[in-house]
Amino acid sequence: MPKGFTQLNYYEVLDIKPDAMAFEIRHAYNAALQVYQPGSLASYSFFPEDERQEILSLVETAYRTLISDQARKDYNEELIRRGELDVRKEAASAAKKPVSIFNIRRNPVAKVALTNNVTLKNKINQSQLIGDILAQNELCGADLKKIRMELGVLTEQIAQETKIRHDHLCSMEEDHVARLPAAVFLKGFVKSYLKCLSLEPVEELSARYMDTVARLPQK
Amino acid sequence: MAYIWPIGGGKGGSGKSFLTSSLGRLSAGLGKRTLVIDLDLGAANLHTLVGVPYPKKGFSDFIRKKILRLEDTVVETPFENLFLISGAHDNFDIANLPYEQKIKTLRAIMKLDYDSVLLDLGAGTSFNTLDFFLISQHGIFITTPEPTSIENVYRLIRSIYFRRIRYCFNVTDFKALEDEVVIQFGDGSFNKPECMIKVIADVYPEKYEQLQDVFSAFRFKLIINQVRKHDNAALGMQMSRMIEKHLGLHIEFAGNVAYDDHVHDAICQRVSFLDRYPCTRTACDLHEVGKQIVQPGGQQLMFRYL
Repeated sequence: MPKGFTQLNYYEVLDIKPDAMAFEIRHAYNAALQVYQPGSLASYSFFPEDERQEILSLVETAYRTLISDQARKDYNEELIRRGELDVRKEAASAAKKPVSIFNIRRNPVAKVALTNNVTLKNKINQSQLIGDILAQNELCGADLKKIRMELGVLTEQIAQETKIRHDHLCSMEEDHVARLPAAVFLKGFVKSYLKCLSLEPVEELSARYMDTVARLPQK
Repeated sequence: MAYIWPIGGGKGGSGKSFLTSSLGRLSAGLGKRTLVIDLDLGAANLHTLVGVPYPKKGFSDFIRKKILRLEDTVVETPFENLFLISGAHDNFDIANLPYEQKIKTLRAIMKLDYDSVLLDLGAGTSFNTLDFFLISQHGIFITTPEPTSIENVYRLIRSIYFRRIRYCFNVTDFKALEDEVVIQFGDGSFNKPECMIKVIADVYPEKYEQLQDVFSAFRFKLIINQVRKHDNAALGMQMSRMIEKHLGLHIEFAGNVAYDDHVHDAICQRVSFLDRYPCTRTACDLHEVGKQIVQPGGQQLMFRYL
């Protein structure tokens, strides 16, 4: 059996949830006024004059009760006694506070420790394959890739550490000459790459790499 | 079985026939076999709006038994998939359709084999209009954002509510019910269906259950027509919320249709508004509303006329 309007509780009169904030209550009150006040088009001829007054005064009471914290608390208790409101629901959620758009006090991104340098160096010294590669006179991208694989480092990790674009790293490792950056950048990139993998001596190895690349046929 | 959309609005001039023809066009344009029936008995206009100024046959031939089956009174229109049962050239007493004729018509309409059937109903709240409206649960109310029109549409909604309650009772029971309502709710309250339904809940619980089922099956819609720029666009929502709260009747707001002088021009030139002015605001609104009308939800339920 649907309840008549006068039997609705104040929340139902204003069409709001029991945990509505003051802002929502005010908003709902204004919306209700728009519908029920005497000049309103939506309720034209819908109610006789006395019924309209009754509804308006009910809306008014509902608003005044709910907007005042003390009165609302008392009213909620009464509703709970009548069993129309759950105790759990009645507990007002923590007031919402403004949220800053930029969190300026954020911590610096924890460095994804590319495993620390010492372990990398140990690995380099122990690895037969890396020793062989470094002993060669030439050092091409494919060699760099082999070393990297041997050390178990991902290109993504290097890109994150060195801030070199991932596609640059890929074209370096694949010796894709046409797609490599200009030599002046490439030199810097390869140095960062070597440093990132703790390969020594950086200067000499990078020079060797640049020589090798310069001799590669243009694809 | 056909989906039947009765279109009513209480006040004259609110655009029932225009919307019927437009919605019919839109539905037919989507490839559905659509029939529009002019049930504005005695003040028929629909034939002009769908481009059949001189229909060869019409609804009154069925009433006068010149044509025995209602489906034989259908005439084609210039638009593909759109058909018409016209009310033009009626005999002059057609507005007062006798009860048996009405029941016969209602039965015949329900048997029609089309994808959708739109009924253009007349103004006012005569029993004929109410009964034709209650033929389907998909009725559409049309009003303009003016107090006069809104007053009439509320009146129509209440009358339909009443009429549906009335179906469940015989004359003496209904009279007794009215008296009971006056005793309980005071003078003038027999005019309020919401009071009456409360009394029914007390006195005839099984009939109350039955009526609740009927009312919850209703999928009525409300369209606000001729909305000017400065009119309150939220009016439809407010009305539908208020009807739900105070009458307990769910009427879905289907949309606003903008006012446009070009509608008048198109009718005067006797061309289809949607063809002549397809890019106007009004045409866009009609398409929006049409989308909801053409794809109905739920199953078509029929009221049984015994």
